[in-house]
Amino acid sequence: MSSSDTPRGTTGEPAGGRGGDWYEIRVQGRLDDRWAAWFDGLDLTRTDEGTTVLRGPVTDQAALHGLLHRLRDLGVPLHSVTRTEPGPGA
Amino acid sequence: MVDALVQTKLALPRVRPGLVARARLTEELQRADGAALVLVSAPAGFGKTTLLASTYADAPSVAWVSLDARDGDASRFWTYVLHAVDAVSPGCASPAVGILESGGGTLADVVASLVNELSVRAEDVTLVLDDYHLADTPEVSETVRLLVEHRPPQLRLVLGTRADPALPLSRLRARGELVELRAADLRFTVDEAGDYLNEIHDLGLTESDVQALEMRTEGWAAALQLAVVSLRGREDSSGFIASFAGDDRFVVDFLADEVLDQQPDPLRRFLLDTSVLDRLSGPLCDAVAGTVDGMAGGAVLELLERRNLLLVPLDDHRRWYRYHHLFADVLQVRLLGERPGDVPVLHGRASDWYEQAGDVEAAVRHAFAAGDLDRAADLIEVATPDLRRRRAERVLRSWVPAVPPEVLARRPVLASNLAGALMASNAFEGVSERLDAIESTLASPPAEMVVRDEAEWQRLPAVVATHRSGLALVSGNLGATLRQADIALERAGGSDQLTVASASALKGLASWAVGDLVPALAGYRAAARGLAAVDYVSDVLACTVTVVDLELALGHLDAAQQAAQDALGLAAAARDRLQVDVVRGTADMRLALARVAWERGEPDEAADHLRAAGDLGDDAGLPQQPYRWRIAMAALRESEGDDEAADALLAEAERVFNSDFLPNVRPVPAVRARLCIRRGDLAAARRWAAEAGVGAQDDPSYLREYEHLTFARLLLSEHEATGDPATLEVVAALLERLRDSAASSSRTATVVETSILLALTADAAGRADEALSWLTEAAAPAQAVGWVRPFLDAGPRVQDLLPLLPDAQAFADAVAAASRDGGSGASRAPGQAPEGGGALVVPLSARELDVLRLLGSDLDGPAIARHLNVSLPTVRTHTQRIYMKLGVNNRRAAVRRAHQLRL
Repeated sequence: MSSSDTPRGTTGEPAGGRGGDWYEIRVQGRLDDRWAAWFDGLDLTRTDEGTTVLRGPVTDQAALHGLLHRLRDLGVPLHSVTRTEPGPGA
Repeated sequence: MVDALVQTKLALPRVRPGLVARARLTEELQRADGAALVLVSAPAGFGKTTLLASTYADAPSVAWVSLDARDGDASRFWTYVLHAVDAVSPGCASPAVGILESGGGTLADVVASLVNELSVRAEDVTLVLDDYHLADTPEVSETVRLLVEHRPPQLRLVLGTRADPALPLSRLRARGELVELRAADLRFTVDEAGDYLNEIHDLGLTESDVQALEMRTEGWAAALQLAVVSLRGREDSSGFIASFAGDDRFVVDFLADEVLDQQPDPLRRFLLDTSVLDRLSGPLCDAVAGTVDGMAGGAVLELLERRNLLLVPLDDHRRWYRYHHLFADVLQVRLLGERPGDVPVLHGRASDWYEQAGDVEAAVRHAFAAGDLDRAADLIEVATPDLRRRRAERVLRSWVPAVPPEVLARRPVLASNLAGALMASNAFEGVSERLDAIESTLASPPAEMVVRDEAEWQRLPAVVATHRSGLALVSGNLGATLRQADIALERAGGSDQLTVASASALKGLASWAVGDLVPALAGYRAAARGLAAVDYVSDVLACTVTVVDLELALGHLDAAQQAAQDALGLAAAARDRLQVDVVRGTADMRLALARVAWERGEPDEAADHLRAAGDLGDDAGLPQQPYRWRIAMAALRESEGDDEAADALLAEAERVFNSDFLPNVRPVPAVRARLCIRRGDLAAARRWAAEAGVGAQDDPSYLREYEHLTFARLLLSEHEATGDPATLEVVAALLERLRDSAASSSRTATVVETSILLALTADAAGRADEALSWLTEAAAPAQAVGWVRPFLDAGPRVQDLLPLLPDAQAFADAVAAASRDGGSGASRAPGQAPEGGGALVVPLSARELDVLRLLGSDLDGPAIARHLNVSLPTVRTHTQRIYMKLGVNNRRAAVRRAHQLRL
């Protein structure tokens, strides 16, 4: 079942702790913290440039594409997707 | 096949009032006449659906499909597309639907069939696929690419999508064949925003307010919509807009919060609760969210729609709605943030409601979404028998990845259901391991084992053996197929008729594949009985097709006829009981009766049955019917002296051939080769022999028996031309080997055919006594049942020899009489209408006949035009008139009707 088939299935539990590489996704616009549950528990940081950085562990490529799909479906413009080191961002 | 609720996918969305007419965009779309593809590609909330719906609302012949995530499966995708297109241009997709539903061709064949049909029609068709990004899988895009590449001029293809599709866009762009509207085009201009806010919604905003809003929202339609809702009834619009402009939160967040805050608490709660649903109806909302201040769900939804709260009606009756996608996402995030624990509960209520409403797919979906694997497993197990009966294996199969092995380990019936669904979808990998796991569970049932379907549990050991038998058949292990089938039969006992039927059919198939026709027949008759007992009528008819084939091969003409008659009776009773127009397989039984009449040398009766079969239409036939009917009709036409028509029919038969997973014991190329031999075109027959790879030294093998016999006939004909005695020795040796092999398995038809050919061989070698001796052997089984066909098909020399046989005078007379009645040669002048043949009220013109002939080929419209040296519009007009005069609505039906009418 694809992620777009059961987007309403999450109970808001974060994906953190399930392993996988860490990613940093930068988007246009300021998303506040309550969106974290929608994005698999990633950490959200709003920057001064009017962008938001989503950061954290992503289980695998399928999960990454699922996240990108959700961002797309919100109409949130993507700036960058970068694989990064675990831990709090710079 | 397309149930009532999902008709909404094919309905053009109603254009809601309160929207801006964006003439600049609509006009650009309407101007896109010659484009290969019209693409509207922009993120969510830019008004794509609205634009497409309003552009095509009043256009003629628009086929609309609102795609969803499940349409990434190419079969489902094309099912919807074909039904949509057929609704606007009736008949154009029926052959394609036939190929798709029978599984007898590839998806490329389905597309080709649609393209071919559309290319000769007079009407243009616009196909709009909305939310294409949901279906854009490699499987689907491969077929859509074919459609674009081979598109008929009559088809305009329009895609609405959130992401550029995986199609060769840059190539189309470079060739000027792509018309695209993108986000930049779809953004509201300041003027359009002003119209929307002030003219349509009467907000009375100042110009600078409008500009501020337009800038902040960047012309994003969804944001403007939310802004309207937030601004309505607000005292200080300018102040609100100023604070909005100064806030840099995600636009939708800001506005949605405003909208939600404005709602009274019970309504707000309703909105959040129902956000878990992908579509909403009054009763469903009642079950999931309860009443709002005493108002029932239906009333609440109407209220929301009136307040323009981003609710989209899905049908004309105001029964089903959905939230605007963006709004739904926002609502869900709020719900997750505020009451995460409620989410599984809400899904659970939805699942319960859908279960009561009989929509098991939705019930299971919500059960999975609620994280309630056990409930989902229960639902699937209980729903399986009905899904199987409805042939909805695809649905069952889609659930396979969602149920983990641990759950299957304690639910053996469910495990068996899913294994069966995999096999029914031709996905055999891993099935053996699944069966091992089930047998483990059966051997030592765990304490926490769950069984919801007691009846299936009783059958389980037999079902597992049946599955193993099927697996063995697929891997070519015929011994194991028979062994496991016998185990299944033993375990089934008298009560499990479905297992008796499937296991017997497997045994029948395994025996048939090696030419053991007697056990094969027993297996198929047992299968037919079992299926009749559980009322699977079309399957009984399918088995009967093979029963008739086998009885004829064994020389039992009366039994063959009886079987077909009985099955027709069963079909008629079922048709009345089920209140349907026709039971699938009825046409096949008529064809079977035609074949028996043909074998008896009764061409008129055969012709009547063939015509009746043709009149019943495509829905009345099983997957092999189209090609079999054409073979039978070819024989009839040939006997009337129309070799050209016979050859055309056989060419069509090859094109529409469908193996239906049965052994191909009478390959169409070999049938065509026999026609060539009879016409004297030995070179063509030689070419067939080379391609088929048959040789005189080959060992007999049942699957190639027909081809070997054809080859023997070729050699005999070649001997007539060359006179080389060595050929006769070779043929005789080959025929004796074939005869011996056939005799050992009671394949009487082959024994008769080889004996006749051996008689001719001996006769050609000058050995008159031997010839008569062979002929006596051939006549023995045939005389008693009036089986004249093998003798008619053997050529005129046989009729010279037959009267020389002692004790066979009556039979010889019968053969001679049948031959005179047009049973075998050019005894009837072409064009002479037979008794009972229907004449056309308005005959076809010569030009129309030209076009009609080419409609039977696989040339598309433009190719036909080139061939006839006329313009495509001329071909289209002719085709339209042909369809009208023949009372049909697609090419295949037109050609079939023409054959029936001897045109």
